[in-house]
Amino acid sequence: MERKATGITGLDEMLRGGFLPQTANLVEGAPGTGKSTLGMQFIYHGITACQEPGLILTFEEFPQQYYRDAASFGWDFPALEAQGKLRVVMTSPEVTREDLQWVGGVLERHAAEIGAQRILVDSVSHFERITRDRLGLREIVFEFVNALKRVGLTAILTRESGALFGGGGDLSQDLAFVTDSYLLLRYVEIASEIQRALLVLKLRGSDHAKDIRQYTITGHGLEVQAKFEGQQGIMSGSPTPSMADAFGLAFGRPRARK
Amino acid sequence: MAQDDYAARLMEDMDPRLLEFIRKGVNSFIKWDLVRFFHDNPHTADTAANIARYTGREAGATEKELLSLTEAGILQTSRVSNMTVFTLATDEEVRALIRRFILACEDRQFRIKAIYHVIQGMR
Repeated sequence: MERKATGITGLDEMLRGGFLPQTANLVEGAPGTGKSTLGMQFIYHGITACQEPGLILTFEEFPQQYYRDAASFGWDFPALEAQGKLRVVMTSPEVTREDLQWVGGVLERHAAEIGAQRILVDSVSHFERITRDRLGLREIVFEFVNALKRVGLTAILTRESGALFGGGGDLSQDLAFVTDSYLLLRYVEIASEIQRALLVLKLRGSDHAKDIRQYTITGHGLEVQAKFEGQQGIMSGSPTPSMADAFGLAFGRPRARK
Repeated sequence: MAQDDYAARLMEDMDPRLLEFIRKGVNSFIKWDLVRFFHDNPHTADTAANIARYTGREAGATEKELLSLTEAGILQTSRVSNMTVFTLATDEEVRALIRRFILACEDRQFRIKAIYHVIQGMR
């Protein structure tokens, strides 16, 4: 089965090769967890390793910010734009929503002009500006996702979760329902240290890794590492030692691993 | 009078295409800001109200200037549902002229001359 690799060490293995083509994939996390970086890496890898041009659709974030952020990872976005392989499009949720309902709209034109196959939408949280109604929002995102698929794009949609630690709430569940996959990025506090955790909660139409992995943001982007061991309640943000480890700590049983 | 003529001649000492661009296109400071905004963010597609927010300007004044830039061929508009959406003109000659203008603005002498012409145009 064809996959759209992200180019992120460890994540593609968790996704069994990458996202499925023409799917919408929700990446949710608190500010600073690396949602936009993950999305930019997906776009950059598509252009440079898979010859798949890409779009970045930004709501309220200036393209210059993406150029700067990308440059810090060694990705030259202005050069890719000049080569016609990338476009960073800034607009608003209300325009995008209406635009995609028409044939030959702005986004469709950009996609056609560069032959885009991938898109990063950063972020769908801004659709909440159009309506605060849960059902209404779900309907808007559903229409939006279907329009992206109609244009032939494989999408990463980011969404900011309100809480720094722990879950994303009911709205996240609604949006997860209308997307094809759901990745959670979380801060985790372990022994007075903040670490980052990644979980693929859902990947429609495919098997995927179910474990919770640590990841770091390096000078080359995200790197997904080994799974958390000896901890439970990771996604709550404040995990506790697993029963076996707690027993070992309490009674001095030597731990089997590091 | 003679001094005024001398100043005017001095201020007109610039690339004639850029001089025309300033006189007919970028003839207000809001337009100058908007041209720079679209130069920096060339794939922007949005309403006047949102562009006003991005540039930190008043919505009514921004819309007036966006429409004027559209008339000058620097921007173009499309109707999306009941909204007017502004984008940078796709004409490569116009885009090249904008790039030249922004590049020229890095030179202080050019900026002084450009400001002079903008103020003259606003009188």
